[in-house]
Amino acid sequence: MTEIPSDLKYSREHEWVKVENDIVIVGITDYAQNSLHEITYVEINEVGTTLEANQECGLVESMKASSDIFTPLAGEIVEVNSKLEDSPELVNESPYGEGWMFKIKPSNLDADLAALMDSDAYREYIESL
Amino acid sequence: MNGELQRTHLYDWHKQHGDLVPFGGWEMPVRYSDIREEHMAVRNSVGLFDTSHMTRYVISGSQAVDFLQRVTTNNVRKLAINGGHYSTCLNEKGGVRDDLMLYRIGEAEFIWVTNAANGPKIHAHLLNHAKDYDVTITDRSRDIVMIAVQGPNAMPLLSKMAGKQIDYGRFTCNPVRLAGYDTYLCRTGYTGEDGGEILLLDTPYGDEGNAKAIGFWEEILREGDEFGIHPCGLGARDSTRLEAGFVLYGHELNEETSPIEAAIPYAVKLKVEPHYIGYDTVYRHKKEGVSKKRIGFVMIDRGIPREEYPILLDGTQIGVTTSGGLSPVLKTGIGMGYVPPDTVKEGDIIEIDIKGRIRKAKVKKWPFYDPDEYGATRSQ
Repeated sequence: MTEIPSDLKYSREHEWVKVENDIVIVGITDYAQNSLHEITYVEINEVGTTLEANQECGLVESMKASSDIFTPLAGEIVEVNSKLEDSPELVNESPYGEGWMFKIKPSNLDADLAALMDSDAYREYIESL
Repeated sequence: MNGELQRTHLYDWHKQHGDLVPFGGWEMPVRYSDIREEHMAVRNSVGLFDTSHMTRYVISGSQAVDFLQRVTTNNVRKLAINGGHYSTCLNEKGGVRDDLMLYRIGEAEFIWVTNAANGPKIHAHLLNHAKDYDVTITDRSRDIVMIAVQGPNAMPLLSKMAGKQIDYGRFTCNPVRLAGYDTYLCRTGYTGEDGGEILLLDTPYGDEGNAKAIGFWEEILREGDEFGIHPCGLGARDSTRLEAGFVLYGHELNEETSPIEAAIPYAVKLKVEPHYIGYDTVYRHKKEGVSKKRIGFVMIDRGIPREEYPILLDGTQIGVTTSGGLSPVLKTGIGMGYVPPDTVKEGDIIEIDIKGRIRKAKVKKWPFYDPDEYGATRSQ
């Protein structure tokens, strides 16, 4: 059973976002990690990179394939989860916790958030795939 | 892909125990547990693979040798009875139609094992050329099951199942009774490790044959338990062949690439009669050289190479990758690709363009693992 926490917002590219004060935490969903299986490598663009919403900003490798990571919100990367360099499997083990990928200081928060799905809409979305 | 995916005799078992994916027109298990775990079982103990999606032809008749010498590139006349060799089947330009294993099971009787996706193409090609020879080609894929047992513990396991020490050497193919089942044991494989590819005979596709195949598969798992056996899916099949530096059709091999360019010289011979289709290109490439050559490389920087990434030398593109991935043994990225000949040599530093990230790699001859530690020729 796919876990979809109700306090997060979701993108069609299977990223989740969590707003914490003026910073947004981004990761990939339980559905995404489960589809990729065995994540062996994660790389996110450097801290300080400025991004448009839905811009590619990193990649995640499984044993079978390479997938791009997109930022659901515009802004500047302020922190990258450095634990994933040595322990990419954290994304499999804890996609909404220790497996978070990066933090972004949003530049267009309200409009970008409005474009994302809530947990019910995301559940319907993945059931339609 | 048109129509429904095909299923092997072992489908019901795979569905119950593994994750299924489409591959070459077949619905096959990509993994049962974890690809790296399955991969390391092959390197350290023994892995079990269903390879029944590959196509198996029995080719027989008084002119079988002449016919096979015309359509394949190794020396068929030199292939001993109960021997097997790796070979290629070329088009008129010398490009690879397919690579194959050829086993000689009688004076004029052979088994040809070809890639799943290439089965229909090869069948049409063989039938077209067979018109000129006294030869019969029968697709036996549906009544012979093929299972690979690979790893350092494979032969001890198979000897136990045979109830006697199996001492047939590598690249042989002999009738062996395993746990009461009649098989041909081919001492070959696609992982770099010792072991065998087992042809389970008289197993027609259908309820009864499928139950027999699953019974045999489960018997191997039961008897293999003490040897650390793991069932392995296509994920581990690809990662083990990549780590061994073996070519895969559609990646390193295609209709535009000759076996000399692909650096599989052992699959082609020049002193053969009659000359096979594509011989002139092979001769020219061997004597006069090629315009591209397969190389292997190991990543120095972080990053995992994949197919169709640019290969650069000092910032200028010189070629393209054909396969790549993580080596579970080295715990780093490895890959293969094509570059013009004599542009790089063993140990040279090249760069791989990983989605816009330029990363250093070192040119390395396969296998990518240390052959003293892993593989069929490891130190005992």
